[in-house]
Amino acid sequence: MPAPTPPAPVDEKRASFEREALVHLDSLYRVAQRLTGNAADADDLVQETMLKAYRSWDQYTKGTNAKGWLLTILRNSFINEYRRRTRHPESVDIDAIEPFAVFQDVQEEDPQGAFFDRIVDDEVLRAIDTLPETFRETVVLSDVEGLSYQEIARILKVPVGTVKSRLFRARQMLQRKLYDYAVGMGYIKGSKP
Amino acid sequence: MNCRECAEHLYEYLDRELTPELERELRAHLDECPPCGEHHDFEALFLKFVRARCRAQGAPPELRRRILRELFEE
Repeated sequence: MPAPTPPAPVDEKRASFEREALVHLDSLYRVAQRLTGNAADADDLVQETMLKAYRSWDQYTKGTNAKGWLLTILRNSFINEYRRRTRHPESVDIDAIEPFAVFQDVQEEDPQGAFFDRIVDDEVLRAIDTLPETFRETVVLSDVEGLSYQEIARILKVPVGTVKSRLFRARQMLQRKLYDYAVGMGYIKGSKP
Repeated sequence: MNCRECAEHLYEYLDRELTPELERELRAHLDECPPCGEHHDFEALFLKFVRARCRAQGAPPELRRRILRELFEE
């Protein structure tokens, strides 16, 4: 009986790329949207990321963290090619931002956070989009895509402690924005005038 | 662990990023301190809420087709 023909290298490359990289397309797209702030640039950024990834697929160790690897390519492309012409990186003095605990304000009226349920998807995305870039990317990688502190630190090239403090402040800022919105819409009375 | 330390590490606890020892200490504090317990529930709900609201959208089918074409049909 003849031995089965081994698959051609190209087919193998394509198959492993489909299996390990293309499955993360939705994640890449969501992150790209939050980074670029518009659908057309997000499309281009994701397409470019996939092309670069496919070209350097041999450098990726199969079976490791493809999502982190792809997001690193995506973020580097964003910084090098898109940020200049889309959004301007804000310089934020992170320590100057006072963390607010929204919980303290709603503790009496709505400790279960029921007001969150009335806030629709678009409003949450809009609120995220108004965060300073450093906070925005951290929140998206963590809270939307579920990456660990270590993975985020690797992608953003910052220490884990920085991820931790950015995440803390980013979440508090986001909560504050959503809370203010909910107060404005009358979903919650709010404790402050 | 006191309430201030609990609030400080709450997100790390929810993110499962604490060392086993700190995690035990924080859980013990939550069990015996109802206000911190409420705070925990509120933050847990907030994180769940953000995730649920932001994950609805995936890559448009047209983009997927464009990429497949670009990658494999050359």
